[in-house]
Amino acid sequence: MSSDLSQFNDAFFEEASEHMTSIEDGLLQLEQRPSDLELLATIFRSAHSIKGVAGMLGFTGVAQFTHKMETLLDQLRNGKLAVTPPVADLLLRCTDVLKALIGEAKGGEKPDAAQVGHLEQQLADCAAGKVLTANQAPSAPAPVVQVSATTGPTALDAPPHPMQFTIGWTPPGNIFQLGLDPMQVIKDLRNLGAVSHLKVDAGKLPALDTMDPEQCYLAWSLVLDTIKPQEVVEAVFEFVKDDSILSVLDTTPDPPVAAPSAAVAAPSPSHVRRTADDEGDVKPLGAILVETGAVSQEELNNALAQQKKVGEILVEQHVITPQQVAQALETQKHAEATAQAKKSDTATIRVDTAKIDRLINLVGELVITQSMLTDLGKNFSPVKVPLLLEHMAQLERNTREIQERVMGIRMLQIGTAFQRFPRLVRDLAQKSGKKLQLVTGGEETELDKGVIESIGDPLTHLIRNSADHGLEPPSERTAAGKHEIGTIRLNAYHEGGSICITVEDDGRGLNRDRILAKALKQGVIQEGEKLSDDQIWQLIFQPGFSTAEKVTDVSGRGVGMDVVKRNIEALGGTVGIKTTTGKGTIFTLKLPLTLAIIDGMTVRVGNELYIIPLVSIVESIQPKTDTVRTIADQAELINVRGAYHPILRLHQAFNIDPEHTDLLESILVIVETEGERVAVMVDELVGQQQVVIKSLEKNFRKVPGVAGATILGDGTVGFILDIRGMLDLTRRSELKVA
Amino acid sequence: MGQTVLVVDDSPTMRQMVAFTLTSAGFQVVEAGDGKDALAKLSTSLQPALVVTDLNMPVMDGLTLIKELRKLPQLKFVPILMLTTESSTDKKAEGRSAGATGWIVKPFNPDQFMKVVKKVLPE
Repeated sequence: MSSDLSQFNDAFFEEASEHMTSIEDGLLQLEQRPSDLELLATIFRSAHSIKGVAGMLGFTGVAQFTHKMETLLDQLRNGKLAVTPPVADLLLRCTDVLKALIGEAKGGEKPDAAQVGHLEQQLADCAAGKVLTANQAPSAPAPVVQVSATTGPTALDAPPHPMQFTIGWTPPGNIFQLGLDPMQVIKDLRNLGAVSHLKVDAGKLPALDTMDPEQCYLAWSLVLDTIKPQEVVEAVFEFVKDDSILSVLDTTPDPPVAAPSAAVAAPSPSHVRRTADDEGDVKPLGAILVETGAVSQEELNNALAQQKKVGEILVEQHVITPQQVAQALETQKHAEATAQAKKSDTATIRVDTAKIDRLINLVGELVITQSMLTDLGKNFSPVKVPLLLEHMAQLERNTREIQERVMGIRMLQIGTAFQRFPRLVRDLAQKSGKKLQLVTGGEETELDKGVIESIGDPLTHLIRNSADHGLEPPSERTAAGKHEIGTIRLNAYHEGGSICITVEDDGRGLNRDRILAKALKQGVIQEGEKLSDDQIWQLIFQPGFSTAEKVTDVSGRGVGMDVVKRNIEALGGTVGIKTTTGKGTIFTLKLPLTLAIIDGMTVRVGNELYIIPLVSIVESIQPKTDTVRTIADQAELINVRGAYHPILRLHQAFNIDPEHTDLLESILVIVETEGERVAVMVDELVGQQQVVIKSLEKNFRKVPGVAGATILGDGTVGFILDIRGMLDLTRRSELKVA
Repeated sequence: MGQTVLVVDDSPTMRQMVAFTLTSAGFQVVEAGDGKDALAKLSTSLQPALVVTDLNMPVMDGLTLIKELRKLPQLKFVPILMLTTESSTDKKAEGRSAGATGWIVKPFNPDQFMKVVKKVLPE
C-alpha cells in the first residue's frame, strides 16, 4: 500500500468519542421527543461518520456494528419504524457496546463477543421485523452490480488469456454536465489493452445552427483486445452505463486451447505480482488458490493446520533450544505490550486556534523583552537601574500571561464530564423504580483536562449515592409533601482560585443518629464523644462505612464514599457535606483549577520555608495573652472573635528549631478546610507568590501534612502544606487529650 | 503545479484522510465541513479541478450541494465524486441525476481512491 492511514487513528478516536456523546445525548432526548426528525438525523450522521472512518482505518468490528445500528436508525429516520421505548433502549445498549468496540480498537479489552452478537441480532430483528409487520414489500435488492472501488476488478477469477470485446457506446447527451469526458473513457479502455477499429458515429450531429455545444451527439464503436475479463471492461463505464446505450460483446475468436488450470495450479511469480497490483495489496498464496477455485477454504485450513511453527522447526533441526524459543516469544509479547501501551498513552487535545494565536503573539513579546534586557546588559550602568526594573516588570507580566494561557490550553469545559450523567440517572431510575431527574448547570466552567478526567468516577459515585440513599421512592415523597420526581442537581462554578462542583439532591438528608450509631458500633468514635455536625457527616467517608440496610445493585458495588474522598484528595481537593433532614443533601467538591500551579503564601519557621495554599487561608493574627487557652497542659486553643480554634505548632509537627517558641511572639495563620479551622503557628509571613507544584510522592515519598514541594526563587526547596493533613495532625493530638 | 480538489465532509478525520491521500498524489486540497461551507469557499476565486463530497452532512447535504454546484458556471463541467457507503446504493442514482460524475464507496484505501480520481480527472 502506498500510504498509511493509521496516523489518523488518534484523530478518529477523539472524533468518535464526540460522536458517541452526541449519539447518547440524542437518544436520551429522543425518548422525550420521539418524533424529532432533526434529532434522528443528527444521531444518524454521527453513527454514519463513525462507520465511514472506522471502515477506512480497518476497525472492522466498529464499522460492522455501526452499520447495523445505522440500518435501524435509517428505518427510524425514514419513518418506517417508530421510536418506541424498547427501540430507544436497544439503541442505548448498543452505544455501550459500540464504546467498548472503539475501546478495543484503541488497544483495550475485547468486549464480550456473545453480547455483541446478541445485540446485532436484536438490531437486525428490530429493523427487519417491524418493516415486515408494517406490510411493506421488502425492497428488492438493488439491481446495480456493485463494481466499486472497494470490490475492485475481479481479475482473479480469470486466467490471463487474450480476450476480444466489441464495444458500442452512445453516451448520454449530458455527459459533459456530469463532469465526464468521453475521451477519458476511451483512454481508460486503451489502458486495458489494444483498441482497434475505433469509429465515431456522427450521424446524430445536428446542423450547426441548432447544435448545443454543451451536448454530446456522438457515439463510438471499437474493438478491444485485452487480457482482462468482461467485468473489468464494463467497469470502465461504471459511472455512465445507466444513462448510456452500451454493448460489450465477447468476440474472442478462438477459445484458448491451452488449459488455463495449469497456470492456476502453479501461479508464476509474475501472475502473483500482477494480481497484487490490481488489488493494491499482496495476497497470500492460499487466498489466491481459494479464489481461483483450485482448493476450497476448508482444504486450505486443513493444510495450514498441519503447518509447523517456525520455532518448532528450528528446535527439531537442533538449531536452537526450546528455552530460546520461549525467550524470543516473551520478547515478542513484551514488544507487543509496549507498542500497545504507547498507542493508548498518546492523548490529544483540541485547542481553539485563537488560543494558540494569542500564545504565539505573547511569545513574540517575550522575545522582544528578552532582547531589550540583553541590550541593557551589554551597556549597563547604575543609572539604568530604573529601566532595568521596568524591563523586569515587563518580563514578569509576559511570563505570567504565557503561563496562564498555556494552562488555558489544557482547560476544557466541565460539560464534557457531565455528559455521561443523564444516561446514568436514567438507568438508575429504571433499576431502582424511583422517579428521578437530573438538572445540570455551569457546564461552561473551565477546568484542567486532567482534573476533568479524574472527577468522572467520584461524581458517578456521588450521583449513585444520591439516587440510592438520598432520594426516596415516589410514595414516600408524596407522603412527605414533595414532588414525586426526585431531583439531582449537578452544578459547577468558580470560587476564588478553585472550582466547586456540587451534587445536590432533594431527598431525605443524612440521618445523624444512624451514622452515630454505626460509627459507635464500628469503633470509629467512642461513647460520649462530642462531635460537631460537620464532623459527623465526614464519618461517612470512613472506609467500609455504610448505613444502607442492604447492599443494592445501584450503589453496592464495593466502592465506598471513602474512595470518593481519597480520589478527590489525590487531586488536591476536598469534599464537603451539607444536609438538612427531610430536605436533602449537598456534596461539594472543591478542586484546584489546575494540578500544576497554586497561589501560595510563603511562611518561615526557623530557617525553613513553607507554602500555604492561599485558598485555605482565612486570616493571619498575632495572638494576645487573653485569647490563648491551654487544655490539659497540651492542646492549645485560640479564641478568634468568640470561636475557638486548635493551634498547631508547625515547629513541633516538623521537629525544627523555630525563632519563637512563645505564642505571643509568633504569627498564627488561620486556615480552613471543609468548614474546620486550625491556627498554624509560624515565625514570619514572607510573601505571596505563585508556585509550581512538584510531586513529593513521585520524587521522594509521601510525608504527612505535606502536599508537595516547590523550587523557590533562591533555588531552595519549599514544602507546600496540606491543610487537611494539618487538621488531622491537630485532631490526633486532641484525641490524645480526650 | 498541482490541481486543486475541493473536499467536503463533516467528519474532520475523513476530510484529513482524503486530503492526505490527495496531497500525497500532488494535488492541492481545500476542505469544507458541509455544503454551505463549500459554496462559501467557491464564492472566492477558487477553481477546483475536482470536487469530492460526502452525502450525509449537517446544514447542507451532498445532494443539495451537487445541484447547487452544477448551477455555477465555473463548475458546470467539473467532475464531482460523491463518497457513499454500501447502504446508500439508491443514492448513487439520485446523485447522478443531481449531476454527480461518479462515486467512491467507503471504506476505501488511498490507492483505490486515486484510481477513481484518475478515472474522472484527465491528466
